[in-house]
Amino acid sequence: MSTTDWGVLCCTLLLIVAYGVYKSKGIRNIDGYLLGNKSLPWYHVALSVMATQASAITFLSAPGLAYSSGMSFVQFYFGLPLAMIILSISFVPIFHRLRVFTAYEFLEKRFDVRTRAFTALLFLIQRGLSTGITIYAPAIILSSILQIDVVYTTLFMGTLVVLYTVYGGTKAVSYTQLLQMTIIFGGLLTAGILVVYMLPEDIGFSKALHIAGKSGKANAIDLSFDWNNQYTLWSGLIGGFFLQLSYFGTDQSQVGRYLTGSSIRDSRIGLLMNGLLKVPMQFAILLIGVLVFAFYQYNSPPIFFNKYELHRIENSSYAGQVAELKAEHHAVFEEKKKQIHRLTAALDADDEATISEVRDQLQDADVRAKEIRQDLVALMQANDAKADTNDNNYIFLSFVTENFPKGLIGLLVAIVFMASMGATSSAINSLASTTVIDIYKRFVSKTGSERRYLSASRAFTLMWGIFCIIIALYASKLGNLLEAVNILGSLFYGTILGIFVVAFYVKRAGGKAVLAAAIVTEMIVVSFWWFDVMAFLWLNLVGCAGVVLFSLIFQGTRPNQQPNGTSIATQ
Amino acid sequence: MTDKGLPPFIRNWRRFYWIVVLWLLVLILLFYLFTNHFG
Repeated sequence: MSTTDWGVLCCTLLLIVAYGVYKSKGIRNIDGYLLGNKSLPWYHVALSVMATQASAITFLSAPGLAYSSGMSFVQFYFGLPLAMIILSISFVPIFHRLRVFTAYEFLEKRFDVRTRAFTALLFLIQRGLSTGITIYAPAIILSSILQIDVVYTTLFMGTLVVLYTVYGGTKAVSYTQLLQMTIIFGGLLTAGILVVYMLPEDIGFSKALHIAGKSGKANAIDLSFDWNNQYTLWSGLIGGFFLQLSYFGTDQSQVGRYLTGSSIRDSRIGLLMNGLLKVPMQFAILLIGVLVFAFYQYNSPPIFFNKYELHRIENSSYAGQVAELKAEHHAVFEEKKKQIHRLTAALDADDEATISEVRDQLQDADVRAKEIRQDLVALMQANDAKADTNDNNYIFLSFVTENFPKGLIGLLVAIVFMASMGATSSAINSLASTTVIDIYKRFVSKTGSERRYLSASRAFTLMWGIFCIIIALYASKLGNLLEAVNILGSLFYGTILGIFVVAFYVKRAGGKAVLAAAIVTEMIVVSFWWFDVMAFLWLNLVGCAGVVLFSLIFQGTRPNQQPNGTSIATQ
Repeated sequence: MTDKGLPPFIRNWRRFYWIVVLWLLVLILLFYLFTNHFG
């Protein structure tokens, strides 16, 4: 990066951190530290909820996914708007009325303390692990740019986020996210316009999409019903609905965001606005990846986007074979380029026969290019079995650093950093909230002072921050990071959601039945994943339905002995 | 379920929920047309 880019990057990060610290001054109790005194308006809630979900992984992996597999990932979010409606109707009013700090507090009021502790534990495992990945994602950017080991960049990134989160608490998280999302939207819009501008003069936005589309990248909707297809309309609507409902309804990193709303109205409008904006936003991010694909139809793409790994194999005993593969890869590109020119002419002349013929040839060329890359990956693995052979997360980053003008590179890198800071800080904050409220305050120190709980909150924030950094150091072997986070979520979210669904809607089920049902279901979900029975999105449905079903079976005809049960469920 | 404090053009929560559902349906339809047109 140039000096200008470093200047833009440092100034942007400094501005964000300073703003967050300034806005979070004067925190005196855990109500302020964990819930921001429940004082934020709906637009704060909306942007904070979006920023928490849209981590750096979103901006690194999504364009990479679109480049390699097309737009189908957008379907993953189709269940989100529907989930926002259910949350607004059921979850938000109850959480607000009960004045809870965490979602799991509600479970003790409805069932018993064991169910609360079990669910909080599931959350802590899942969120603790996935937050490690969200720290690692931007760390690979610095690693790639500075050409230094990812361990050092992970430590730097993680430490920065942890220090700022420990000081700021939830108020700082929300205020920085507001500013972050504003800059992120502006930066992405600029990036999208610039990609189109960088295409050849006679290729506009529409023609670029036609070119990418003929290579199978415009596949935004897949109507087929296949249990093993990750992204279809049905898996997105049904499986995605359960995943999003569980994520927003039971994951403290999100519950903590909308509990900062000053009223039920503010939390509701914030969530519903997220429901309106999230799908188009994700579509726009994927569209940038598709446009990058169109760009590389006219400009020779690297054979492998992770420069660090490419450099290693080029300087190994396999250098000769790598050179041959690179030459072959370039020949395929030149052949594709000729076909692209034919396609452009056919599109101008509206010549359907030629368009169809070229489409087949382009897809054949893509298969050949993929085979060449697979040969390269085989060489990388032969050279080092631990080599990182998935370069999806490097595609957008590599494109930006090699093609964008000075200044904008720094801004785009800053966007990825900010996204990571927003998501990571709220996750660490939620891990600390759950540990303090559901474990420490409930089991260890029931009658401490506000000052003591505030200190404990800061200490647990630091502890979870260190834990997440350690996980981040091992995150490089997980393949596509976005999918890794979603798979990890799907292993636990369905079960957690099932517990909450029983709490809200199955009045006759008691604590013992739901806890046993949750344990049995979790074992089933993990074994389904282990034996690859179905695509991961469906695990959310299995988890949720399993807990409801087993709760009913285990409860049988016995009456619910919990005195709190009906009183909460009927509110 | 109180409708107090909603923007005037939305009137009540039920209408807000329907707007979200309809918006999703419109997006799915647009994406379907996008897939067919460019693919």
